[in-house]
Amino acid sequence: MSDPAEVEHRRRAKRDLSRRGFLTTTAAGTTAMAADMGQINALQSEAVTKQLKQQGTRVILLWLAGGASQFETWDPKPGAKTGGPFQAIPTSANGVHISELLPELAQRMQHTAIIRSLNTKIADHGGGASLMETGRVRDPGLDFPDLGAVVARELGRLNSSVPDYVSLYTSTEGRRKGTSGVLGARYAPMFLSDNMIPLNLAQLESVTTVDHKDRAALRDVFAKKFSKNRNSAAVDSHMSAYQRVRGLMASEQLFNVENEPAEVRARYGPTQFGEQCLIARRLVEAGVPFVKVARAWWDSHGQNFETHQELCADLDHSMSVLLDDLSERGLLENTLVLTLGEFGRTPRINASLGRDHFANAWSCSLSGHGIRGGVAYGKTDPEGNTVVDGEASSADLFATVLQALGIDHEHEYMVGSRPIPMADFGASPISDVLA
Amino acid sequence: MIFMAVGPFLICPANSHSGVMLMTRRICSVLIYVVALRSPASPADENILLPADTSVQDAIDHYVQKAIAENGVPAVGQAPDEAVLRRTTLDLSGRIPTQPEREWYEQIPPSERREQLVDRLLNLPDTAFHLANDLDSHLLRNSPYNGEFREYLLWATKQKRSWDQMFRDMLLAKPAEGPLQGATQFLRTRIREVDDLTNDTAILFLGINVSCAKCHDHPLVEDWKQDHFYGMQTFFSRTYQTKKNVVAEKFFDEVKFKTTGGDDKLASFMFLTGDVVTDATPDFSDEARKELDEKIRKAERDDDSEAPVPEFSPRLQLVDIALQDDSDAFFAKNIVNRVWARMLGSGLVNPLDQMHSGNPPSHPELLDWLARDLKQHGYDLHRLIRGVALCTAYARDSEWSSAAEPPGEGYFAIARTRALTARQLALSLQIAATSPGKWPDVAACDEWTKMRESLEKQANGWVREFEQPNENFQVAVDEALFFSNNARVYDDVLRDSGDRLIGHLKTVDDDAQLVTDLWRAVLSRTPDDEERNAAVAWLQRDNEDPVEKIRQLSWTLLAGPEFRFNH
Repeated sequence: MSDPAEVEHRRRAKRDLSRRGFLTTTAAGTTAMAADMGQINALQSEAVTKQLKQQGTRVILLWLAGGASQFETWDPKPGAKTGGPFQAIPTSANGVHISELLPELAQRMQHTAIIRSLNTKIADHGGGASLMETGRVRDPGLDFPDLGAVVARELGRLNSSVPDYVSLYTSTEGRRKGTSGVLGARYAPMFLSDNMIPLNLAQLESVTTVDHKDRAALRDVFAKKFSKNRNSAAVDSHMSAYQRVRGLMASEQLFNVENEPAEVRARYGPTQFGEQCLIARRLVEAGVPFVKVARAWWDSHGQNFETHQELCADLDHSMSVLLDDLSERGLLENTLVLTLGEFGRTPRINASLGRDHFANAWSCSLSGHGIRGGVAYGKTDPEGNTVVDGEASSADLFATVLQALGIDHEHEYMVGSRPIPMADFGASPISDVLA
Repeated sequence: MIFMAVGPFLICPANSHSGVMLMTRRICSVLIYVVALRSPASPADENILLPADTSVQDAIDHYVQKAIAENGVPAVGQAPDEAVLRRTTLDLSGRIPTQPEREWYEQIPPSERREQLVDRLLNLPDTAFHLANDLDSHLLRNSPYNGEFREYLLWATKQKRSWDQMFRDMLLAKPAEGPLQGATQFLRTRIREVDDLTNDTAILFLGINVSCAKCHDHPLVEDWKQDHFYGMQTFFSRTYQTKKNVVAEKFFDEVKFKTTGGDDKLASFMFLTGDVVTDATPDFSDEARKELDEKIRKAERDDDSEAPVPEFSPRLQLVDIALQDDSDAFFAKNIVNRVWARMLGSGLVNPLDQMHSGNPPSHPELLDWLARDLKQHGYDLHRLIRGVALCTAYARDSEWSSAAEPPGEGYFAIARTRALTARQLALSLQIAATSPGKWPDVAACDEWTKMRESLEKQANGWVREFEQPNENFQVAVDEALFFSNNARVYDDVLRDSGDRLIGHLKTVDDDAQLVTDLWRAVLSRTPDDEERNAAVAWLQRDNEDPVEKIRQLSWTLLAGPEFRFNH
């Protein structure tokens, strides 16, 4: 079989073998190489995305932690024995029906493409989340960055005084910090949980600004002396963390929803998820390239329908207002909103009226920048057990997202001497959902 | 014996199970793998390894030096004595040294310092606290601050309980009086998810992550099939918790799974080595089964019901088989590898949960020797820790100043700079912030025990502020913001009352002496001239508020990497 991707893969493998001829024939030699992989040594082609950075393309990821049911959201099966009690309703996109639990989003389908044919196989929370965050199965030898870190690197500006990647949570369950992996701490998320304003962003009254700056400069002198002869990514991350302090302190106001007019706040509503969506809008408006807002906890092993009634109402309203607000401000054309979790839920309704973990046939949605709205891509069988058309892997989804952002998904990060494409090997973007 | 063969292999997970692919169209990357081919002889062949009566540190030195010599790797020299004192105290006691400890250390003849230091620390109550803290963050990483579990661990480490006994305590989880009861928390915190029981036991006690073999045979490791994952799960599938919070086992349960071919398969009690235990549960009549089921349901429901105890206990079988496993010695090698990684910054096998034939150790014979030694000495962790703390590699310098490429990590030819654990950092922060004259004499052991207990309590309030480092740890910007702007750092650590560091420093008239005292208290070393001059000049510039100046100067060290890392 001569799949072009496979041919390319073999060609590349051959080239790499000769490149690696220098490797010694000892276990320790190999370990040494494995160790080097911790430090990405050649992130070439800084210029590739320079233009994109200037355009200010951004991403908001609405993360449905715990795994939302595709039946109660994007792929309803009313009447099927697996369908549950809710109906499907028509949307603003011709022929596309979604669950009646999302009536406001149904009116905004012109901005949104649904993918109903995800088959990602991994159905445990940790493994599924890692897969959907990084677009690949965790490889023990390679700590691949999550989508937020990749976007932060590709779309963030080096001299930016705002964070590159902000991660907000609404529940302590399913908290995941995200990982910038081989890209380094520079692209790790600023993580908010209990408070909407990141802790310790404001300067203490007892310390003068002069002292604050002065001591930081002296700290740097001693820190550089210490780190000079140490080849340690962890030590480097300590340095870069302190170097960003002053810049980040200036971005404090972005996290304060009090700065928004009352009518805007009223639109988003009083829920924490709603407020965090508003913060996400403020952040992308200020140039933060990637904001993740997580809403937990969709893991409805029991009482699936009540859980979804409550959570879908919050999602429906908050996401709809977010799309409207972005659109009215002219930001939606630069901002991709991705709504995704670690997996979907089983067609089978269990004895506790719950749905369990299911990754073989589930859905997600993409709205805004680079997306062809009003499309429902892929198809599952009448009971939702399997994908019957347009099967898509996590890698395909990543390729699609990167393509929508204008980033070449085949672009490779060099990790040590190993070229790693941004979307996993063999990924193809789903062109039907791309504008 | 292990023969090494090195070569580039194409490993294609997608092709290894054509029916069910992890990702459609996934084409895997090129990996370079070292494959160990096991000869019929056991890896721990007595004739090949160094004699059993070799000291632990000599055995380590022998094997580490052998790899360095064979590969012509440049190795750095020993770290300065002050650095060894700090490093060893952090690793054995979980905190930086105090001023009396530094003075005690300096009066020992240099050739005897390391051994005396290690033996003193291993006999301090601190070491039990530290080992308990470390085991806690290791074994209950996802549910921290479990008081009952911490009490058990401290009780166990204080009496130097052996590792195999602790494994039994935690896995058998028998009802007990007193601190031993806390051992049940290992299972109880995971009891709702049989996958967690299975995976975490395999990862933490056996160094094996079989979770990738759940939905399909492991894509990268030929050793592991679905049979192994579900085989391991059978040892836990009967485990449940009664209403009285007793960890109990049912009489019957079968684990079935779907193979990648779509067939239903019944799992057997299979250990990672492939060894299988037969279910010795006697045949019960249907009526007797019903009766037992009813008793179990009652025990799950009622406060006053006792759970019936089956004769055949799958968890006991697992413990026995894991401890009897002489061929792969997963249990012994796992703890050796983890202690090694904790003290040297990376394991003999990395990642720590990937001890399989596709990922052999950097020093296979050393791992075999240490595992054998540990077993032969009753799984005494103190013996292992002592040996590692006294080996040459442990005390190497952590700096590389040559223009040449530094030696690769797997040789242990240079010490690794390691982030402090959250608790090491919290405790060290308390010590650094205390007036250096406030510490009890090194001989005052009872007083020191009380001091440690109070330090632990103080540290509890700080531990949550810091991230527990993992293998690819990177300091988050949150931590820099915490040190820069948090009121507790200013009001507590940098307070100038008489019992605090700043309170002491402000009484020192001579700036050069002040700087020396500061460096010793925070960084456990004497400043060099360049540092002393820079610090003195800084203190004397725009000196309107001398105490504030001292406070900010102290901050530059407390917020610096030299304090943040073990090096």
